[in-house]
Amino acid sequence: MASEPLWELRGVSKSFPGVRALQDVSLTLRRGGITALVGENGSGKSTLAKCLAGVHQPDEGELRHRGSRVELRDPSAARGHGVAVFYQESSLVPSLTVAENIYLGHLPRRGPLVDWAAARRGAMAALRRLGVAIDPHRPVAELSVAEQQLVEMAKAISSEMTLLVLDEPTAALGPEEIDRLHEVMKHLAGQGTSMLYISHRLDEVFTVADRIAVLRDGRLVGTAPREDTSVRDVVWMMIGTDLEELFVRDRRPSPGIRLEARDLRTPYVDGVDLSLAPGEILGLGGVIGSGRTRIARGLFGIDPILGGEVRVDGRPIRLRSPADAIAAGIAFLPEDRKADGLFFNFPGPPNVSIANLDAVKRGPLLSLARERHRTGRVMDELRVDRRAGDLSVRFLSGGNQQKLVLGRWLFSDARILILDEPTQGIDIGTKYEVYRVMNELTGRGISIILISSDYPELLAMSDRVAVVRQGRIVHVAARGELTEHQLVEMAATDVAKGA
Amino acid sequence: MLLVAVGVALTTDRFLSRQNLMNVWLQVSIIAIVAIGATIVILTAQIDLSSGSLVALASVILAGLIKEMGVPVPLSILLVIAMGAALGLFNGFFSTYGRIPSFIFTLGTLAIFRGLAFLYTQGAPIFSVSPQLNPLFYRTFLGMPLPFVYVMVLYAAAWGYLRYTEGGRNIYAVGGNDSAARLSGINVNLVRTRAFVIAGFMSGLAGVLLTARLDSGSPNYGQGYELTAIAAAVIGGASLFGGHGNVFATLFGALTIVLVQNGLNLHGVPAAWQEIALGAIIAVAVGVDMWRRDIGQALGRLFGGRPRQEAERPAPTEPPVRTRT
Repeated sequence: MASEPLWELRGVSKSFPGVRALQDVSLTLRRGGITALVGENGSGKSTLAKCLAGVHQPDEGELRHRGSRVELRDPSAARGHGVAVFYQESSLVPSLTVAENIYLGHLPRRGPLVDWAAARRGAMAALRRLGVAIDPHRPVAELSVAEQQLVEMAKAISSEMTLLVLDEPTAALGPEEIDRLHEVMKHLAGQGTSMLYISHRLDEVFTVADRIAVLRDGRLVGTAPREDTSVRDVVWMMIGTDLEELFVRDRRPSPGIRLEARDLRTPYVDGVDLSLAPGEILGLGGVIGSGRTRIARGLFGIDPILGGEVRVDGRPIRLRSPADAIAAGIAFLPEDRKADGLFFNFPGPPNVSIANLDAVKRGPLLSLARERHRTGRVMDELRVDRRAGDLSVRFLSGGNQQKLVLGRWLFSDARILILDEPTQGIDIGTKYEVYRVMNELTGRGISIILISSDYPELLAMSDRVAVVRQGRIVHVAARGELTEHQLVEMAATDVAKGA
Repeated sequence: MLLVAVGVALTTDRFLSRQNLMNVWLQVSIIAIVAIGATIVILTAQIDLSSGSLVALASVILAGLIKEMGVPVPLSILLVIAMGAALGLFNGFFSTYGRIPSFIFTLGTLAIFRGLAFLYTQGAPIFSVSPQLNPLFYRTFLGMPLPFVYVMVLYAAAWGYLRYTEGGRNIYAVGGNDSAARLSGINVNLVRTRAFVIAGFMSGLAGVLLTARLDSGSPNYGQGYELTAIAAAVIGGASLFGGHGNVFATLFGALTIVLVQNGLNLHGVPAAWQEIALGAIIAVAVGVDMWRRDIGQALGRLFGGRPRQEAERPAPTEPPVRTRT
């Protein structure tokens, strides 16, 4: 693996009105090297990626390819120089085949007709380059999520690829799929492709990257070979705070039972028993598709209850709809906050008040002043960006958006919160805020069911952890009794046998 | 909204005569009332194509009740408006609980309602319904024509409802993001059905007024009202995807349409050209709305300085937000 510089950024700066996204950034990307780029939201990671992708042009500084200066005026110029970008948002058409998707928009032709043989050959070659084999004639809809991602990658790369930029590629993936992706990356690195891996997930970064570059407020504050640094050092460079302070579960549950489910059955959940004490955080761990979210949906009245009983504070409750669950004091923060959580046609205050409009009424009518005032209090408590008061929430960062949705449930006096991947796609500084909020809420007696694929987070924040597999709870462990390794094993064991 | 200014500006000479303004207002009022219903339905991300036909049916039933069945006028009016609401419920039920897309279902009721109207009168209009109807439309209240008053009152009520009640807030929520609304405990189907009931009520009311204005009921009335009403809403900035819009803007939209028609009439433009002009205006209005941001940027660049819209863009490191409109 030659280590000559393939791509370089020298003194790159880029500003937008009101913000200096990048300041004097110099970075070298070597042939066959995997460089990770980490930093908080707003640190400039995406801007840097977009400069390489030709989406933005630097105001100052230069980009060099193989030692000579290049100007990437637009994405096709970047592609011309062999830059491929892989985003997390899916661009596949489910009803078309693998080959059709890989060649979407540029199917090989023979005269006026499509050359299907060439398309098939090319698709297989691209997939082979990633080290995998998938039948190019299969419709993409039939593939697993991991396989679809590989097709997505095959689509992004091409034979002349020199640099592959991956922008948060693992946000929606489970552990095995992430491993697969990493293998593919190493395979590509072996072929001499240079890669820039942008991620929030430091554990993954330390698994796959050779070098780690840290951005903070638009400046490159450090780069180091992976062996010479640690997660702790990187976090310190990113935010200036020590890692120890982050995962702090500093409350203990009270005695008693706030929520109890006995033999809960829905079309997707097969007889689940669980109990939750006041102020307790119960973590649900399991692979993607294991049924953790389905349990949550059952408890929130989204999926129909076919059998079993649910009690809140000892009283049995009917869960025919989310309204019933909300009335019983249960709240649900869905995994996809954009699709299921936020109202982009509203600014902050209505987003917060929507689940409890009675609290902002004066008589039969809504009082906008009262809404502003009361939701403002919650928003301040959660330290949500002040601009959320007037702007549509689409302008907020992911972390602020998540805090806003969390605020909605605080505003509704929920006593039981079900959080589904609450820190997904959020930078580390805001994660800490979310943990702080979780601690504070449990200190007030609110109970939390935490669903997280981030096992270190799950193990650190939960008072008890339940392992979910195929719609049932197979094991419950108290704090400290389970290691990450054990959790992974227990969560995954049946997968090979089952299905 | 700047289009209304344009609309008003482009009119000339005889426009500002009292007689003409009165005419315009009378013309607008009925459509404006239907447009309230259209707007509310659109806010919930649905569409009601049957309002014009419902107006016809209402007019015909009202005429029939009064003239042929001798039902007292006030009672007939109430019955017809109630019928409008009930048919709205019919529309709403199947478009929500019935899970038939509202576009399709109301396309069906568009035909059904008008068909019923034809059936009822055997295709013929009913003339000279009742002298009691005339003042309903032509009298004045404190110097202002009654239709003006009706429109103002109804619009104010609709505005108040949408802005200051839980029901109104739920309408925006359902239109903005129906799955988030559901997860927030809102009964989405109920909210959507209620929107249709309101639309039916408005159409019924409009039918009554139309009958009063023309002193006759006919199955041919109200042709194209639904499209004009929807156009008014869209020109006023309502998004067909739901969640965006407000009623007063719709009123401006309706005014724009009628003013343009009026302007063209005053200039003696033949009817065919008027249709074309109207269609063009609607297309431009929607286009302006969609491309507002881009136009703003282009103008900004033209007049120097940084495009103002850039400042509103999310922090550059965020991946593009797939906005749920």
